[in-house]
Amino acid sequence: MSSATSIPVIAKRPVEHHYLPLMAVWLVLLTLPLWLPMLGGYTALGARVLVLGLVAMSLNLLLGFTGVMSFGHAAYFGLGAYGAGLTLKFVAASTPLALLAGTLLGGVAGTLFGLLIVRRRGVYFAMVTIAFGQICYYIAYRWNDLTGGFDGLRGFSRAPIDLGFATIDIQHNDTLFYFFLLFMFAVAIGLMGLILRSPFGRTLIAIRENQRRARFLGIPVERHIWLSFSLSCCFAALAGSLYALLNNFADPLSLHYTLSGEIVIMTVLGGMRCFWGPLLGAAVFVVVQDYASSMTENWMSIVGLVFVLSVLFFPRGLLGVLQRRDAK
Amino acid sequence: MTPMLEARGVSKQFGYLRAVQDVSLTVAPGELRAIIGPNGAGKTTFFNMITGFFPPSQGEILFAGETITRLPVAARVARGMARTFQITEVFPELTVRENIRVGVESAHGLRTRMWLSAAERARVDEAIEAMLILTGLAAKADRLVGELAHGDQRAAEIAAALSLKPRLLLLDEPTAGMGEQETYQVAALIRRLHKDNAYTIVLIEHDMRVVFNLADRISVLDRGRLLADGTPQEIAGNPDVQIAYLGTAA
Amino acid sequence: MLQLILYNVTNGLIIGAFYVLLALGLSLILNLSNVINFAHGNFLALGGYFAYLLTPHLGYWGALLIAPAMTAALGFVIERLMIRRVYSRDPVYSLLLTFGLAFILQDACRFIWGPNGLPLGIPDVLSQPVSADLFFITYYRIFMGAIVVVAVIGLFAFLRYSRVGVRIRAGTLDLDTVAALGVNVRLLRAINFAVGCLLAGLAGVLAAGQIGLNPNMGDDLLMPSFIAIIVGGVGSLTGTLIGGLLIGVASALTTVVYPAGSEAVIYVIMALVLLIKPRGLMGEEGMLT
Repeated sequence: MSSATSIPVIAKRPVEHHYLPLMAVWLVLLTLPLWLPMLGGYTALGARVLVLGLVAMSLNLLLGFTGVMSFGHAAYFGLGAYGAGLTLKFVAASTPLALLAGTLLGGVAGTLFGLLIVRRRGVYFAMVTIAFGQICYYIAYRWNDLTGGFDGLRGFSRAPIDLGFATIDIQHNDTLFYFFLLFMFAVAIGLMGLILRSPFGRTLIAIRENQRRARFLGIPVERHIWLSFSLSCCFAALAGSLYALLNNFADPLSLHYTLSGEIVIMTVLGGMRCFWGPLLGAAVFVVVQDYASSMTENWMSIVGLVFVLSVLFFPRGLLGVLQRRDAK
Repeated sequence: MTPMLEARGVSKQFGYLRAVQDVSLTVAPGELRAIIGPNGAGKTTFFNMITGFFPPSQGEILFAGETITRLPVAARVARGMARTFQITEVFPELTVRENIRVGVESAHGLRTRMWLSAAERARVDEAIEAMLILTGLAAKADRLVGELAHGDQRAAEIAAALSLKPRLLLLDEPTAGMGEQETYQVAALIRRLHKDNAYTIVLIEHDMRVVFNLADRISVLDRGRLLADGTPQEIAGNPDVQIAYLGTAA
Repeated sequence: MLQLILYNVTNGLIIGAFYVLLALGLSLILNLSNVINFAHGNFLALGGYFAYLLTPHLGYWGALLIAPAMTAALGFVIERLMIRRVYSRDPVYSLLLTFGLAFILQDACRFIWGPNGLPLGIPDVLSQPVSADLFFITYYRIFMGAIVVVAVIGLFAFLRYSRVGVRIRAGTLDLDTVAALGVNVRLLRAINFAVGCLLAGLAGVLAAGQIGLNPNMGDDLLMPSFIAIIVGGVGSLTGTLIGGLLIGVASALTTVVYPAGSEAVIYVIMALVLLIKPRGLMGEEGMLT
């Protein structure tokens, strides 16, 4: 039965209407060093939003698109930070190497841990992810000699990138570092977008929509959840590595479940099922947290309030309210 | 000829509860078999064992001559078994087309691919179109399944199951909760699949009009046991069936 | 040497008792309502702070009785106001809700009572050591242990014999059937949550007598409580009990041999259990696994 003679095949969904918001987002991100200081911010704040946005988007791969709840994602983020920091401090002053090492450390840890827990579900899964995060926190906290303990890992800084024909001084030039960060961000989410649009990505969405049905359509659910988990951890670890480069510092709090919770709220606040949602959520959260902590001692209550109000009144998130369906 | 499906002395015990007791039946290729019985007779439990949701406590299950008693779900799906559920199981926030796409890509072995060549994409799209036309959903292809009428949702569910190119189709109460019009729609689809496309179909049904109009053979379960097995005429005239199953109208 | 071992083992048993008390409350809430109460450590702190408020007026014994009840009442109110709105939704929302609640409650404690430690007075008779040699075993420690034992027995008796308790147990197995039998499930969940907070509040009063009050006193106990539940098996209260005791004692024994590893051993046990018996020592098959 050939389709050539019957209804014309609509191979792709019309995507023209998606280009405009996409371009707007990139425009905003590219010109950030110009407009943010005018609003009273500073470039490093924008960089922080990018990094946290990246880790939130990596969580979204798991939470929003596969339907699996990890509440311990800071572990891989933190491992990425420590991996990058330790590499810069003890191995070589090479930014690419640091990024690679950090991503591998967090990514491999996540992949191995994922094998252990992939058959668990729901809140139990969330609990063990929290516990694993705390194990990492504990190790970082205790292994004073290596990690600097509670004070954190210091004594390293990002190294200029030597391309052979030119050197990009991201060490001293903050604006240049921001663009480097933006470049890495773009590469990462480009990959993420590719994954989500692929047949594999579609199986993840199927698993989110109806796990039982997915299984009965021949999808090996546990294996795909594990793959999604591994990929998510790799991206989170990359974000962590970039974070260490941003701050020239890595500390145990980047592994603590408090940060894990914050990553989740960024994802949910921005819009769980939207690709760009977590970035928006990260922006809002970082700004609110920054502002609140400078205004009042009770900033913790304000942050807590953000959690509570989001859950009660904005469950679909800011972008979720704007868009009926997820942007793919 | 090797039966498409064979159950030998299949039983299932949940603690003290014997949900299914020593059920044996044989389904020939191309046959449409209906399994009927009062509520709680063990029909869905039986289905669950055939499709691999959980293993039987006793007995064997053979699919096209191969013993599959302990195989996991994915392996049975890979061998050509597809199933629908009592409560329509679809991907509600995806379109009809996307629902079918998942099944097609799975059937073509493209599950873990990150990208497709133009040729592969064309093949997939063609297969999707074929399913849409077969199940009469072409006009509604880009609507969200969750928003469709019940009859169309069921058709979408069946379309997704068919996209796996199964040898055996297992339908659990396909007309459950449907009105006249929709029952007719779904029954007509099942008849088309049986007569025109020669699918082997086993279905659980409560609606006797559907059963007696479509089935080649009927198996009756009551309280976990196989009560009777035969052609519609034989079953209609069987006094035991009448006693166990009196007055079921749709 | 013997003294050292005894010292550490008693410490371990006391800590284990706290893990058990807190973990049981967490487990109760988790089993019935599928909610991880991140704020549980804060309810513990509140129990202690309520006791601090009440001691001048009701004395220690009055505070011991009333403070947990107040904590339970607060839990009941919070459950009704906020938590019950998210039951029907994806579990991620209840997690986030209790998470945010934890922040708010902690800050509230800080705001009302200040960030520094406060003492909770215990009756003189209890602060006496049992013997001159074993100076570290005060009557208070024995008292704490006794109270925990009573509380645990009371809880299990409540769940086994009282009407509400039986309904809670039935509800953890099949909430739909319980609802169909005409039980007011919303009230049941609220009561269940309150009982969980009662246990947390009690733990808080006891802990306050030992280590004093501060806004983050519950934090260090929260994670081990999680692990007690994971080790014991999600869905099983007996498992939680065993899990809590196991990690408490293991932690204590490790302190004798290798003090730096006493916290790590808890994680090691958890990892071992996950590898060998992924459902936990007494884990049950069900919606949670």
